[in-house]
Amino acid sequence: MPPLTDEDTARSHDRSRVHHARKHGKRWFLLWLLIGPGILAMLGENDGPSMIAYASDGAQYGLGLFVILIPVLFGMAYVCQEMCMRLGAVTHRGYGELVLQRYGPAWGWFGAGDLCVTNLVTLIAEFVAIRVGLAYFHLGAGVAVALGLALVLATLSGGRYWRWERTVLALAIFNGLFLVAAFLAHPHLGGPGSLSLGSLPHGSTNTLLLLIASTVGATVTPWMIFFQQSASADKGMTPGDLRHGRYDTAIGAVLAAVFGLGALVAGAALVVHDGGGIQGFAGAGFPSALSHAAGSAAGTVFALGLVEAGAVAILTISASTAYAAGECVGVSHSFNTSVRGAAVFHAANVGVALIAAAVILIPGAPLLSIALNANVLATVLLPVSLVFMLMLANDRQLMGQWANRVSINAIGVLVVVFVSLCGTAYAVDSFLLSTHVIGG
Amino acid sequence: MRSEIPEQQEPGLPLTRLLDEQELIMHLEPDQLVAETVRPLPRAHLSPRVVAGLWALRVFVLIASAMVIYTFIEQVS
Repeated sequence: MPPLTDEDTARSHDRSRVHHARKHGKRWFLLWLLIGPGILAMLGENDGPSMIAYASDGAQYGLGLFVILIPVLFGMAYVCQEMCMRLGAVTHRGYGELVLQRYGPAWGWFGAGDLCVTNLVTLIAEFVAIRVGLAYFHLGAGVAVALGLALVLATLSGGRYWRWERTVLALAIFNGLFLVAAFLAHPHLGGPGSLSLGSLPHGSTNTLLLLIASTVGATVTPWMIFFQQSASADKGMTPGDLRHGRYDTAIGAVLAAVFGLGALVAGAALVVHDGGGIQGFAGAGFPSALSHAAGSAAGTVFALGLVEAGAVAILTISASTAYAAGECVGVSHSFNTSVRGAAVFHAANVGVALIAAAVILIPGAPLLSIALNANVLATVLLPVSLVFMLMLANDRQLMGQWANRVSINAIGVLVVVFVSLCGTAYAVDSFLLSTHVIGG
Repeated sequence: MRSEIPEQQEPGLPLTRLLDEQELIMHLEPDQLVAETVRPLPRAHLSPRVVAGLWALRVFVLIASAMVIYTFIEQVS
C-alpha cells in the first residue's frame, strides 16, 4: 500500500462527498460539488484588463462587431477549456508536468517561461485595475497592493483546495457587477453607432487590431490552460465527472460572456462622448467618465467591478503560476498540501503576486501601457500552449477513449489559426508603424 | 489494488488507522494517489516533421513577442 499523504487524505474527503451525492441521486448537490475550475477559469479571465478592453471597445466603437465577437470568443474558450478539464480529469496531472514529461524539459520549460512572463505582466495589470477601481473612491496604490496581497495570503489558510476554490468562487460571482453597471448606464441603444450590430468599427487599422487582439487575449490565455487542467486534477476530478466538468466550463463561459457584454454595454454609454474617459485610465478615468455620462451609481458599480475583477484574477493567475512552478520543478503542487509541505508551490503563489505588486509601487512606471499590452502579449504567446494542448488531448496513450474526436480537433485547429492570425497581425502592423516602414 | 491493502499492512500500524486509510483510499482512483502521480510518464515519440513544426512555431512566437515588446518600449519612450 502506498503511503497516504495529507494531499491524498484531503482529496479523498472531497471525493467521498461526490460519491455519496452520486450514490443517493442528489443531482444538484453533485453539480455544486463538481463546479469550480471551469467557472473560475472563465470568470478569472474576465479580469481587469479584459473588462477595460471590452468597455474600451464599447466606448470607442459602440456595440458593433464586438457584441458578436465576445460570445464567439467564449465559445472558442469553451472548446479549449473543455480539453484542459478532460486532460486533468483523465490523467490527474497538470498541463506543465504533462508537457515536460511527454515532450521533454525544453518544451516544458519554454511553456512555463511563456506562462511566467504573461502572468507577471497580467498580474501587474490586475493591480492596476484594482488601483483604478479604488482611485474612484480616492484610495491609493498602497491600498490596492495591500488588498491584493492580503487576499492571496488569506486564501492560503487551511491547506485545502476545496476551501480555496469556494472562497474564490464567492468573490468571482461579483463579476456580475458589470451587468449591473450595464443596466445602470442606460446605454443609448438607438444612439449613433451604439447598436450597429455586426458592423465593422471605424478608426485606424492598428487601433482596431489592438482592440481585436486584446479582446481575443481577453478570452483565451495561457494561464487558463495551465489553471483549469491543474485545478481539475487538484480537485480530484475523474473521467466519471467529465459531464459535470463540461457543465462547469459551459456555465463559466456563459457567465463570462454575459458579464463581458455588460462591460461592453456600460462602455457604450460613453460612445456619444467619443470614448471620453479612456485616456484617463491611468487615474480613475473610466469609472469617473461613466459616472459623468450615466450617473454616479454606474461609475461606482463599475469601479467596484474593476476591484473584484482584478482581485479574482490575482488569485487565479497566481495559482496557475504556482501550479506551473511546482509541476516543472517536480515538487508538491496542491492547495491540499500545507505551506510547509509544498513550499515551492506556495512561495510561487505569493511571490509572483508580490513582484507584480512591487512594480505598481514604482513611481512613473508605465502602468497604462502595461495594462493595455498585457492581453496582446498573451495572445501572441498563446499558440504554443494551444498546440501542446491539442497534442496532449490527442495522445491516446494518455487519454485512451477520452482522446479528442475529429470534430473537436477541427475546431481546435481553427482556434489556433485564428488566435495566431490576430496576434501576428497586431504584432507586425505595430512593428512596421514603430519602425516607420508604413504610415499611421 | 484496493483488495490488496489489508495484506500489505505494515507491522506496528494500528488497525483502526489502517481501516481509516483503507476507507479513504477507496474514494480515490489508484492513479490519483500522490505516490502514482509523481511517477514520471514515458516520453512521447515525435516525428522529425512534428519537431521541426514545433520549432518553427517557437521561432515564430519569439519573433512576434519581440515585435510586441519593441512596440511597447517605443510607446513608453
